[in-house]
Amino acid sequence: MKFVKHLSVLAAGVLSFSLLPALTAQSLDAAQLLKPSADSWPQYHGDYSGERHSHLTQITPQNVGGLTLAWAFQTGQTAEIKASPLLVDGVLYFTVPDNIWAVDARSGHVLWHFNKPTTQGLHIGQRGVAMYKGWLYFMTPDAHLISLNAKDGTVRWDVVIADVNLGYWTTMAPLIIGNHVIVGVSGDFDNLSGYLRSIDPETGKEQWQWNSTPPAGTPNSTTGGMTWMTGTYDPALNLVYWGTGNPTPVLSGATRPGDNPYTCSVVAINPDTGKLVWGFQVSPHDTHDWDAVETPVLVDADFHGQPRKMLMQSSRNGYFFVLDRVTGKSLLTVPYGPVNWALGTDKQGRPIPNPAKEPAPDGRLIAPDEGGMTNYRSPSFDPETGLFIVDAHPSYSIYFAKPADGNYGWAGADYGLWGKGVIEAIDYQTGKIRWSHEVGAGGAGAGVLTTDSGLTFTGDAYGNVLALDTHNGKTLWHAGMGGAMQSSPITYDLDGRQYLVTSSGGVLFAWVLPQSAMSTKSSRAHK
Amino acid sequence: MQRFRNAILLAVGAGFLIFQPMLRPIYAASEGATAGARSQSSGAAAEPEKPGAEAYANHCAICHGEQREGILPSFPPLLGITHQLTDPQIVDLIHKGKGRMPAFPTVQNDELTALLRYLASPGPSTSAVTSNAKDNAAGVHSSGLVEAGNALFRQNCAFCHGRDTMGGETGPDLTRSKLALSDVNGDKISEVVRDGRPEKKMPAFRFSSEELLSLAAFIHSQQVKAASKKGGRRGVDVSDLQTGNVDMGKQYFNGAGTCAKCHSATGDLAGIANRYEGLQLEERMLYPRGAKSHVTVTLPSGSKITGTLAYLDEFVVGLRDSDDTYHSWPTSKVKYAVDSPVNAHVDLFSKYTDADIHNLMAYLQTLR
Repeated sequence: MKFVKHLSVLAAGVLSFSLLPALTAQSLDAAQLLKPSADSWPQYHGDYSGERHSHLTQITPQNVGGLTLAWAFQTGQTAEIKASPLLVDGVLYFTVPDNIWAVDARSGHVLWHFNKPTTQGLHIGQRGVAMYKGWLYFMTPDAHLISLNAKDGTVRWDVVIADVNLGYWTTMAPLIIGNHVIVGVSGDFDNLSGYLRSIDPETGKEQWQWNSTPPAGTPNSTTGGMTWMTGTYDPALNLVYWGTGNPTPVLSGATRPGDNPYTCSVVAINPDTGKLVWGFQVSPHDTHDWDAVETPVLVDADFHGQPRKMLMQSSRNGYFFVLDRVTGKSLLTVPYGPVNWALGTDKQGRPIPNPAKEPAPDGRLIAPDEGGMTNYRSPSFDPETGLFIVDAHPSYSIYFAKPADGNYGWAGADYGLWGKGVIEAIDYQTGKIRWSHEVGAGGAGAGVLTTDSGLTFTGDAYGNVLALDTHNGKTLWHAGMGGAMQSSPITYDLDGRQYLVTSSGGVLFAWVLPQSAMSTKSSRAHK
Repeated sequence: MQRFRNAILLAVGAGFLIFQPMLRPIYAASEGATAGARSQSSGAAAEPEKPGAEAYANHCAICHGEQREGILPSFPPLLGITHQLTDPQIVDLIHKGKGRMPAFPTVQNDELTALLRYLASPGPSTSAVTSNAKDNAAGVHSSGLVEAGNALFRQNCAFCHGRDTMGGETGPDLTRSKLALSDVNGDKISEVVRDGRPEKKMPAFRFSSEELLSLAAFIHSQQVKAASKKGGRRGVDVSDLQTGNVDMGKQYFNGAGTCAKCHSATGDLAGIANRYEGLQLEERMLYPRGAKSHVTVTLPSGSKITGTLAYLDEFVVGLRDSDDTYHSWPTSKVKYAVDSPVNAHVDLFSKYTDADIHNLMAYLQTLR
């Protein structure tokens, strides 16, 4: 009898261990990327939807006031962290240009540090690595894609994605779909064609390339359309969604009349073939450098009473777009801050640019500024409240362009006059701003993360990390990090505790509820 | 014998076990050579002192580049730094840091001396300057001189003036500069480079005559290229901003623009066009950065204190009182009221037409 009792105890123990989430670096495969386990943040956006919304509920509006620092990791560098770290198998991987760190997420100490200084390419930022089956994928400022062993940071292979001598550079975290590593390029100071490329994760060989614009010199066309930032993916439709950048020459539109497809667009691409399925232009004939590369957030919900598969983007040009992501048709187009450059929206739901607000020799007052109503930082969608939450930047600027500026690269000049930061919670069905939370003069620059327990995590312009009540935007907790957050927060479960990870300057912070504060009561999932 | 052999095996095994889990940081060596090769130009480099080069590699290279080439736009190159700063100035910077540069107070004695010697040594490109300059006595635009000037410019000037001389983080576009355009064989440019522009934060540089000649040659070649294939940001000339009407501007100033509520053409704005011109005047007209706000804080006791607003976020309000003493309070403990006259400028943004702005500019430019 005792033997049976011991055996059943043993069996129960074995069973419970096998039920524990067991994501190792080597097992990070397509299935894991499709349904990330609670103890991971396996890709830039967390999951393929780009909602940056977590189902973890250990940290609640009631207990977040007691959130405390578990550890901080100092890179010892002045480069600002703009990356979303990955958390896989208890190890955090994050970057700044030319550098990757692997850090033990329990102790906050470094396991390895990869550093490949490059002298070419704009070192404006690095959004993070991608991971697949124990291999990391990393973009360099001089437009290489490097694959490294996640165990020790040794290089497996290194391929050139774009020619930095032509004016390209890269900053983004690659997107991995099945056996495709999808990467995009940047480069506005030259008239260059933008493209997406799919790379084989094992060999580094090119699988396909999709061009957003044709090569320079093609008649009746434009260059530009850089594919700056990581896209999103719908596995059921098998479509990858990507935003493209502005046309070149940037501030001068005379040599490129017309809409300039597919610049400033959201496009749907088949990830296996690289073929375009549909494209929607967020800014036809842009002359203000307003890339449409903000996160294409995928949401399945009702829209005006009908269930819809939607794509939402709070775009740099100041407009909030809701599209049907099956067809690319517009459902809603509404400004989410002061805009003064459009004559309204056309029948397709696209803003109509006002020719009188194109850059001119004596200058034009433009809202928003070149940095845009928002930029690379991630927004978040909270399903329970139906709120699309974004760090917005109401702003004004003056734009100049004259014939003497030519038709190459920037072809003009623009100057920001004033701006501020506001966290806006947008009702996705109407575009109305249900609540807003001021975050400082000049603008904040922090991404947004929401959780099922009704918390919104973000930062202000003064270096504070903030926990807000998702229902009304009220501050529930804050901590001063010493510098404004320039990345988007992540969260994960580790050893039964929910961690929030944020960055400020060159330092990574891991926040957690104190061990003593956690009873069985508070650790039960509840809203 | 058996015991001895076992002991050896045990020792080896233990050593192996201890060695295995040690995780060392990996520094990628594979690309180091290529990176170095990319930043080289022609010619044999003067051999840098080894201990100084080592000190540089340990403390400085991560920001200032392996070859002292900098990482534009964030970290300036250090090649030729001794043209800009004296040794005591360099030591001060190393020990105290500045802005984003951290302090290295532990770099002292032999290591410091070696590092200074290394920083004074020419880089691979600069050694080409003197030889090319001498070979090219005739013709400012000979390609050798321009190339040498390009290298010098990139190392010393590009951080502020942009790699293509067309303006960078803080320095103006030299292809539009009146002084640089009217320069002949470096006569005007040399003066500015040698003296610096301290009021505008441009340092002075100690270059030789040949080096100055090459710099001027490069700047002039860039001016020639300016009309064609260059992609960086361009600039705004004073002459670009003359499309407004003075009378309409004066009307707007005193009427719908509401400027006269706070400003006076004969008072605070008298002579404004002597102090600012062109883009700078227009930017200040639309939004004057650095304008001060005032705040009145009511303490729990009921007493009030007023001063210049020095800090304000959600959690803390700070002011400087009439004695310039700083005081701050948690916002949860006090009431406060901010008076920001500059907000009137923000309110106007949504009201201006572009014609209003150009007319205002025309009017303000008459206030001399």
